[in-house]
Amino acid sequence: MLNLENKGIVITSRIRLARNLKNYKFPVNMTEEEANSVIGEISNAVSKYDKGYRLTYMKDLSDIKKNSLIENHIISPALANKKDTGAFLLSPDRRVSIMINEEDHIRIQTLGDGLSLKECWELSNEVDDVIEQSVDYAFDKDLGYITCCPTNIGTGMRASVMLHLPALSITNQVDKLLYGVSQLGVAVRGVYGEGTKSMGHLYQISNQVTLGASEETLIEKINQIVMQIIDKEKTTRDHLYKNNYDELEDDFYRAYGLLTNARKMPADEAMKLLSLIKLGSEMGITPMVKGKNIYQLMVWIQPNNISTIEGKELSVKERDKKRAEIIRRELLR
Amino acid sequence: MLCNECGKNEANVHVTHIINGKKTESHLCEECAKKNQAILNSNFSMENLFSAMLNNTFNSKTYLPAKGCSNCGMTYESFRKTGKFGCSHCIDSFKGRLTPVIKSIQGYDRHTGKIPKRAGGDYKLQIDIQRLKSELRAAVDREEYELAAELRDKIHALEKRKGDA
Repeated sequence: MLNLENKGIVITSRIRLARNLKNYKFPVNMTEEEANSVIGEISNAVSKYDKGYRLTYMKDLSDIKKNSLIENHIISPALANKKDTGAFLLSPDRRVSIMINEEDHIRIQTLGDGLSLKECWELSNEVDDVIEQSVDYAFDKDLGYITCCPTNIGTGMRASVMLHLPALSITNQVDKLLYGVSQLGVAVRGVYGEGTKSMGHLYQISNQVTLGASEETLIEKINQIVMQIIDKEKTTRDHLYKNNYDELEDDFYRAYGLLTNARKMPADEAMKLLSLIKLGSEMGITPMVKGKNIYQLMVWIQPNNISTIEGKELSVKERDKKRAEIIRRELLR
Repeated sequence: MLCNECGKNEANVHVTHIINGKKTESHLCEECAKKNQAILNSNFSMENLFSAMLNNTFNSKTYLPAKGCSNCGMTYESFRKTGKFGCSHCIDSFKGRLTPVIKSIQGYDRHTGKIPKRAGGDYKLQIDIQRLKSELRAAVDREEYELAAELRDKIHALEKRKGDA
């Protein structure tokens, strides 16, 4: 196994399980009354778990709050769209989120730091067992867990890993690599931004196939692919360090200079510069950034998170000013 | 070879996609390839692909059940369009026609992952019995009779539980 520190390359891991109740139509066909009944059944089931999960209804949240939860990867955009019927249960440590009436009745999502798919799966599996004690799941002995979309059928499991790949990105290798892994039954997308155009060089790798293999096998496959990508990113970093040190050092210090001085900072520019100083810090070139959680800062400066911090809706201009302020404060602290 | 897209210039960009064994090829000239960056860097969405395959597999000649799902009333036509089920019973209503499509998308048509304790019913027992039986055969082949006897007792115990259920 490769060095698991991985120099900040693997940021988070996530396991999502899709489950449905046998005796209800899928959320796409439900009345509000049925939806509430599903929410009731599931929150009852989880309350027996007695771990302090808190229930929140979509209809009680403002748009800013919903989008901020999306930016923090706690709920999905699809759940935020379920204005009248959606809800979620969140664990006190915010690692487990049980989305109710998204595309499926239940989506159990577990987040972990670094490469921790196995741990996430164990926790998701435990929550799944607890819920199943009180509700009737839709399960077919041939096709496994029945989901609304046949692309999730079987295990209902999506395992994904978020990677920070700046060296591969700035050397234009990332498209080729990601295209390569997409041939292995694995999906790749940018975390922030549209399609594979990723802001801040953050990418998410997940399994496409959900049927025909056990959860453990699917996870092992993702782990192996991720290990190979980490290896490529590391090799490229070493290569850059040896051959382009002066250019890199200049780029990193320029990025740091802008981030610590600019008075207006648009999101895409901020993400690009933060990605650079994160790389600089991990390569030991910009020591002043050491020990700071740059990824967390990338999350905070997303548009709706800034508005949430401020407690009101901000214009683009106000947001850019606020973003610059937050970044200066965090980096110079 | 001429470009598939414009049909004018010589094709010098060749793209082959293989997804679960289904191969598609495109031959493009440089200009069209640039315009079609999406083809080169494509990130196939399973949903889109699934819907497309449904439409290919179930062309107009295919028999379409007049009635929809007995539980939610979802018709085959609307399933074909959206690629989504209306309820968990749709699977039974459409299963025979669905299995080959699921297989072509997922590569498999049999679940081998987690089996829920309650909803799995005696299916979990059945799987456990099957597994023990193959272990038993292996033990007999290796002439490990003590282990074989142990396995045999376990199988009996499980079969009894199945009978009781």
